[in-house]
Amino acid sequence: MVRGFTRSAAVLSAAAVVAAGCTGGADGAAGPAPTELRLAIGGESEEGYDPTLGWGRYGAPLFQSTLLTRDADLGIANDLATNHSVSSDGLVWTVDIRTDAEFTDGTPLTARDVAYTFTTAARSGGLTDVTALKEAVAVDDDTVELRLTAPQSTFVNRLVSLGIVPQHAHGPDYARKPVGSGPFVLEQWDEGQQLIVRRNDGYYGAKPAFERVVFVFTGEDATLAAARSGQVDVAALPSSLAGSPVPGMELVRVTSVDNRGIMFPYAPDTGRKSAAGHPIGNAVTSDKAVRQAVNAALDRRALVDGVLAGFGSPATGPVDGLPWHEPASAVPDNDPDRARQLLESAGWTDADGDGTRERGGVRAEFTLLYPAGDSLRQGLALAVADMLEPVGVAVTAKGESWEVIRTRMHADAVLFGWGSHDPTEMFNLHHSALAGTELWNPGFYASAEVDAHLDAAMAATDPEQATAHWKAAQHDGRGNGFGPAADAAWAWLVNLEHTYFVDSCLDVGEPGVEPHGHGWPITSGIVGWRWKC
Amino acid sequence: MLTALAKRLGRLALLLAAVAVASFALMVNSPVDPVAAYVGGDVAALGPQQRALIVERWGLDDPAPQRFLTWLGNLVRGDFGHSLTFNRPVLEVIGDKFLTSLALMALAWLLSGLLGFALGVVAGVRQGRAADRVITWWAYTLASAPTFWVGLLLLYVFAVSLNWAPVCCAVPIGVPAAEVGPLDRLHHLALPAITLSVVGVAPVVLHTRQAVVATMASDHVAFARAQGDRGLGLVLHRVVRNAAAPALLLQFGSLGELFGGSVLAEQVFSYPGLGAATTTAALGQDVPLLLGIALFTTVLVYAGNAIGDRVHAVVDPRADHRRWR
Repeated sequence: MVRGFTRSAAVLSAAAVVAAGCTGGADGAAGPAPTELRLAIGGESEEGYDPTLGWGRYGAPLFQSTLLTRDADLGIANDLATNHSVSSDGLVWTVDIRTDAEFTDGTPLTARDVAYTFTTAARSGGLTDVTALKEAVAVDDDTVELRLTAPQSTFVNRLVSLGIVPQHAHGPDYARKPVGSGPFVLEQWDEGQQLIVRRNDGYYGAKPAFERVVFVFTGEDATLAAARSGQVDVAALPSSLAGSPVPGMELVRVTSVDNRGIMFPYAPDTGRKSAAGHPIGNAVTSDKAVRQAVNAALDRRALVDGVLAGFGSPATGPVDGLPWHEPASAVPDNDPDRARQLLESAGWTDADGDGTRERGGVRAEFTLLYPAGDSLRQGLALAVADMLEPVGVAVTAKGESWEVIRTRMHADAVLFGWGSHDPTEMFNLHHSALAGTELWNPGFYASAEVDAHLDAAMAATDPEQATAHWKAAQHDGRGNGFGPAADAAWAWLVNLEHTYFVDSCLDVGEPGVEPHGHGWPITSGIVGWRWKC
Repeated sequence: MLTALAKRLGRLALLLAAVAVASFALMVNSPVDPVAAYVGGDVAALGPQQRALIVERWGLDDPAPQRFLTWLGNLVRGDFGHSLTFNRPVLEVIGDKFLTSLALMALAWLLSGLLGFALGVVAGVRQGRAADRVITWWAYTLASAPTFWVGLLLLYVFAVSLNWAPVCCAVPIGVPAAEVGPLDRLHHLALPAITLSVVGVAPVVLHTRQAVVATMASDHVAFARAQGDRGLGLVLHRVVRNAAAPALLLQFGSLGELFGGSVLAEQVFSYPGLGAATTTAALGQDVPLLLGIALFTTVLVYAGNAIGDRVHAVVDPRADHRRWR
C-alpha cells in the first residue's frame, strides 16, 4: 500500500518535473569534467568497513585491496598476489605477494598482514565464511601459506573478496577508521546518510579518475528524486522505477545471475519430519514427470516481458552466464503439449473433468509460497499458476513471511531468489548432505551422481577440472544432473537485469554479470570509470 | 520535597524494570531470528560453522533468562551492551542518533505547541465564526492524516517538484562535516520537522479551543466584560492562562507520540536519527540496542509527564495535589 502510493506519486511528480522544464543531471554538462562522483546505489555497511567482518564481499572493498580479483568475464587475475598455487592434495594454498604495496599510514603490506587477515576472518563471527582455513602462515615477507582443513576449490573466492587489513592498526574501532592499501581512503562517514571517500594517491594500481567519490544512502524514492534533480551521477533503481527516462541520464541495464526460481520438494510425502519438526515431502512435486512438465509448460519469455517489463532474461539454471554454466541442462519451454504428454505418460489424467489431473486419488496440485512483501515474486507466482492451469496442474500461490516459509519449505514449493559468483552456492543448493540445513537444499534433493560431481568439483585443485565437474552436476549427458533436462530439481524462471541511471557523460565501461544484490556490485569496476564529456 | 523526589525516582525505577522485562520478553519470543536477519541475502554463502561463530560473537547461545540477567548485571555497572547491527556500544549509538533527533523533535515540538495553542485560542475566541470553522476543519483533517502520508506529500511537492528542499539526510550531499553550517542543517531539518509537528498540532488545537470556549463562558470573563475588558486584552489577561492547562499537559504528555512519529518521519526523509535507528534495530533483532532505546524513551516520556505535572500545577494552582494532602 505504502509502496504503491509512493510509486504512483513518483510517476506523477516525474511528470511534473518534466512539465516544469527542469533538466537534471547538470553535472558535467558544461565546463571541465568534475573530479567528484556521486553514487546513490544503497548498500550501506552499518557495522562499518572491516573486511574480516564481511565488508567488500560484493564489489570492491574500496579502502583495502585483495589478493586476487575478477575481470569483467569473471576470470581470475592478480591484485596483491603475483602468483598463487595449490598443493596436489588441495590443502595448502601458497600465495606470493607484491612488495610495493603500502597501507595508507605508510607501512608496507607484508605476508604477515595477509596471514593475520585470514586468521582473524576465520575466527570472527561476521559475514564472510573463512571457516575452511586451519591456519595462515607467513613463510617470509612476501609469501603466505593458507592451510585448509579440507580441499576447497571455491576458496579462491576468499582470495578475491577478502580485503587485507594491517595487523598493527586493526582493533575494535577499525571498522569506523579503516586503514588499507586500496584505491580510496575514507574521508567521512555520516552514518545513515553518506560515505565520502578520497583517492589514495599512493595506490600501487591504476588510479581512479575521480578525486572524491560520495556514496549517498537513500531509499528508492529519495534516490529517484535525487537522480531527477541532478544530484547524483549513478542511481541504482529497481526496474519498476526504470520505465520513465531521467533527463541527462542514460539507463544502463546490467545482466545478472540474480535469479528467481521454483524450488520443488523432491522427497515423497511419507510423514517424515525434519530435525526442527517441520514436515518433509510432497506427493505431487516428488514426481519427476510433474517437475519436468512444469519446466516445459512455462513461458519464461512471457514472464520476463510481463512481470519484469522486459528487464531480465529467461533462466535455465542457477548459474546462467557464469563460466561454469552447462547450456545442455536447459530444455525448450513454452511447450504445453509436451507438458501434457509427460503428465499423461506418467499416469496423471483428468478423469473427473474438473480441469486438474489426478493419479491414484492424488490431485496434481501444489502450493507455491513466496515472501509476502515481494511484489515481483508475487507477480511471478501468479503468472506461473496461470500458465500451469491449462496443462491440468493447479498451483495455489500464497504469500507468507520468511518465518512461515522456513517451516513449510520442505513440503511446499517456494519461489526463491539466488545468484552468486561463488559456485559454493550451487553446491549448497543441491548436495544431499546439506538437505534441510538453513535454506540450502530445502526440497531434500538427493542424487548420488550429482553429489559425486559436486564433491569432485569442490576437491579439484585445477580450476578447469572444477569447472568440468560443476557443469556435469547440472547435466552430465547421461541423464543425470539437477538441471531441467534431467532431474529438474527446480524450475528456474528468470534472471533479473539490474537497472542503473548513469549520467550521460559518465563511462562505466562494460559491467560484468552481477550477483544477487543490486547496487554495490557495480562498484567492482569503479577504478576504470571515466568522464567522456 | 526530597521524599517526593525519592518517590518519583522509585516509581521510575519500577517502570524501567517493567519496561525492560516486557521488551525483552517480546523480543526473544519474536519469530525473527537475529542471525537470519544479519545474514540476509548472504544465506547461501555462510555455512553452519560461520553461523555458530556469529552466535558466539553475540552470546546468543545462552538461555534467554540468563542473557537477560547478564544484560541487567552489565547495565547496573553502566554497560548498556554492544549493538549488533551497528557494531559499536549501545550508548554511543543512542547518543549519536539522539543528538540528530533532538533538533528534529525539539523543533517539531515547539512548532506544534506554539502553532496549536495560537490557533486553538483564535478558534475558541471566534467560536462559530468562519475562522473557527476553517481551523477546526483543518485540525480534523490533520488528525486523520498519517505521518508518512503527510511526509511523502511534502517530499514530492517541496523536494522533487519545486526543488526547494533537499530529498534526504541531515546534511548536504558530499560536503565535509567542517563546512556544514547551521543554515544547512535547518534546511535539511525543515521538512521532517514540519511533517512531525503537523500531526501533533491537531489535538492541541482542539483541546485549547474547548478550554477557551469554556473560559469565555465563565463568570470571571463575564465580570471582566462587564468592567469593559475587550478584544485582545481580554483574551491575554483573562483567558490564556486558564486555557493553557490542557495544551501544556498534552505537549508534555505527547513526547511518546512525538518519538513514535519520528520513527515514520525519519524513514520518509532518510533522516538518520533515533527513529531510523529503532527501525534498523527492530528489523535486525538487535536486542541490546532496542532495550537501550526502550529504556531511554521511557525516561524521556516519564520526565515529560513529570515536568508537565509541575508546570500545570504552577499555571493552575488547583491542580497542585500536594496542597490537598
